[in-house]
Amino acid sequence: MGGTAVSLFRASRRLGGVILIAFLGAVLVFFVMRAGHGDPALSALGDQATPEAIEAFHRRWGLDAPLPVQFWRWLSSALIGNFGTSMTVAGGVPVGQLIASRLPNTLFIGLYALLIAVTISLAAGTIAALRHGRLIDTVATSGAVLGISMPDFWLAYVLIYLLALGAGIFPSYGFVSPGISLAGSIYSGFLPALAVAAPMAAAFTRMLRTALIETLHRDHVRVARSLGYSGAFIFVHYVFRNALIPYVTVIGLQVRYLLGGTVVIERIFGIPGIGALMVDAAFARDYAVVQACALTFLVCVLTVNYVVDLICSALNPRSA
Amino acid sequence: MTKGSNLTRRETIKLAAGATAGLTVPWSSAFAQQGTTLRAGIAGFNVINTLDPMKASLIPEFYVIYGAFNALLKFNDKMEVVPDLAESFKVVDATTLEFKLRKGVKFQDGSDFNADDVKFTLERVADEKNAAPNRSKVATIQDIQIIDPYTVRIVTKAPFAPLANYLTNTRTGTQIVSRTAVKQMGDEAFARRPVGTGPFIVKEWKSGESLQLEAFPGAFSGAPKVARAQCPIIAEESSGMTAILGNQLDLTSTAPFADVPSLEKRPEVKVLKQAGLNIRYIAVNNKKGPFADIHFRRAVSMAFDREVLVKAVLFGEGVAIPGVLPPGLWADPKPTFGEYVTFNPERARAELAKSSFKAGTEATMLVWGSNWWRRMGEIVAGQANQVLGTKITLQAMDFNAAYSRAKAGDYDAMVMGWIGFVDSDEYIGELVGSKGFRNIHNYSNPKMDELLERGRTEMDPAKRKLVYAEAERLVADELPVLPCFCSNVHNLLRPNVKGFVQLPYSNFADQFGSIEIG
Repeated sequence: MGGTAVSLFRASRRLGGVILIAFLGAVLVFFVMRAGHGDPALSALGDQATPEAIEAFHRRWGLDAPLPVQFWRWLSSALIGNFGTSMTVAGGVPVGQLIASRLPNTLFIGLYALLIAVTISLAAGTIAALRHGRLIDTVATSGAVLGISMPDFWLAYVLIYLLALGAGIFPSYGFVSPGISLAGSIYSGFLPALAVAAPMAAAFTRMLRTALIETLHRDHVRVARSLGYSGAFIFVHYVFRNALIPYVTVIGLQVRYLLGGTVVIERIFGIPGIGALMVDAAFARDYAVVQACALTFLVCVLTVNYVVDLICSALNPRSA
Repeated sequence: MTKGSNLTRRETIKLAAGATAGLTVPWSSAFAQQGTTLRAGIAGFNVINTLDPMKASLIPEFYVIYGAFNALLKFNDKMEVVPDLAESFKVVDATTLEFKLRKGVKFQDGSDFNADDVKFTLERVADEKNAAPNRSKVATIQDIQIIDPYTVRIVTKAPFAPLANYLTNTRTGTQIVSRTAVKQMGDEAFARRPVGTGPFIVKEWKSGESLQLEAFPGAFSGAPKVARAQCPIIAEESSGMTAILGNQLDLTSTAPFADVPSLEKRPEVKVLKQAGLNIRYIAVNNKKGPFADIHFRRAVSMAFDREVLVKAVLFGEGVAIPGVLPPGLWADPKPTFGEYVTFNPERARAELAKSSFKAGTEATMLVWGSNWWRRMGEIVAGQANQVLGTKITLQAMDFNAAYSRAKAGDYDAMVMGWIGFVDSDEYIGELVGSKGFRNIHNYSNPKMDELLERGRTEMDPAKRKLVYAEAERLVADELPVLPCFCSNVHNLLRPNVKGFVQLPYSNFADQFGSIEIG
């Protein structure tokens, strides 16, 4: 009972932390966006806009009010779930609606990439650890170094040239939303997901390999071996489970990069996700859209970190 | 571990690829059918705010508007102004144009087109309350007289030579809208589902993603040959290129300069190109900093080689220009380049000696946009620094930030372009006229203003060109901006696409009505 109360307290304190960080993030994005040069009226009206047209635009969107007033207006409506209206990238469309239509695409590519990265790394990391020092280990490790060093946008173009334009297996551009066709999204999302996944797979593989090798030489494994348990049993119960903790932690940390990767990849492949939306909105000074996208990203990262913590404590009850 | 789970990374990828490749069929059915659907990518742009011609200002907005609307006039394949919604037009006197309108023209909502729509459209653009970006183009109109339902007279306050150009289906905002539709829908709704007389109806518009256009069989220009047009908005020009190479598109609105030479050798695409109606230049601050000194401007202008820019920035896809007019508007097809717009290191150094700013002078040039804009700044600044010993440094930002700074007068120099316009006054008048809205250079010269005024009121096209040629010589002498080059316009087509005629002002959907996919 006492334990439950403690973990409840911990969970709620964490939740409070998440909310505080989200709020600070919102403040930061709001004021940083406005600190630089630039004017949404320029993006919306073009440079032949007359001063009167620009003034009318500012009035219409409340940009003539002092910054704290603008922030309060935004915050008070954001608190009740209204993130405002797009000024430039999708003039007149509610931001909530934009995010709702685009978030599934980003999440899909993100999870797809994660799945690919985890699959590859589980296989490659395990093989490399078990064949430590042999040729296949060298191949897997070198592959991992290569994977980490390749920028995702460069890899994206390599994949397009090889598998889309060269072999003609995948489309070179375009994405079918999972809402329209799941099969279509799996097919058209493969290259972008792979481009995002490759550096992650490399990092995961290295982590898993190191953790496995380290655990393989720990005392409890030696004891288990001396007791005559089979290799496979030891590996699954004593080695793998222990090595999973740092592995899962690294996955949690990498999710940030995953989101960063989707921003670039979405533009290259024309995936209508919130990464591409945020970039477009930032260039067009569509403040409300940038704020909502940044907040969405922030909440995603915080959620993933939270979930990773939960998984880690489930894997290792001692630290809970 | 068991042998069965020993998958190498390569095998895993292969497996995954194989599994997903089997899913080709549902993907393609979710996508467009070839032949009946034109897949036309709007490449290199990401923002479309409005499809109401009155409010539109950005090139990609007009790409679509061209196909959904018609104007009274249009440009034909030879870039001559010809009637479109008008059947004919004539000059009544120096301030009056009379238009006979086509009869039996239907708007996309089924309503009839007549003189009332013309009056409504133009008055709507001219109305100060609407703050239309293109208001200045119709601001000189004093009166629009409906003689009968199919005859309209447009009376201007003074003779206004550009008027005919401003009534074409280009970046003018004077595309004719249906009064009934605007009144019924309201401005906001009309901007998203516009109603014009053009061959394509805007069916669906996903902001920042794509537009779906549907053929309008009742178009007066004839029923389109394709049933619909699907236009993804592709932010990266290079992605537009890979999309058409991979047969995900039939047509693109642009192509990256650097790739044009190699694209021309590929059988999967046809490259259409010609000298465009555009200019690229270095905008300079004529009020403040070293560029306020005419000798410094001349020295820098003589210190870089425009031919090198064309080769290194455009990969040969353009021509050097001696002023601020694109070649399509030159009076003389081979104009002489003035002394100060010709590369000459000796003369440049001699000119710098006359300036109060010497070698070692520091200045900042703002660069923005895709790579080639940056390269343009690098070469100009690099050559100037090498020849003159100046210290011009680059500062990279996005266009919005750079232009905002320039407008506020907080800059020395900036790479700049002005594209897609059809009248000389839109270039030279807006750029260096003391009241021009593109005059971020703070340049003001009564002699220039007088020439520009003559250009606006001279109704004889041949004489008008000579006026602008004189204004160009003044630009080349005083250098309110440093002219650089005009670039080619490009479209990429799949070889089976027929009937797209490229025009130099960067046209697009206006051609969809005649496109056939073999």
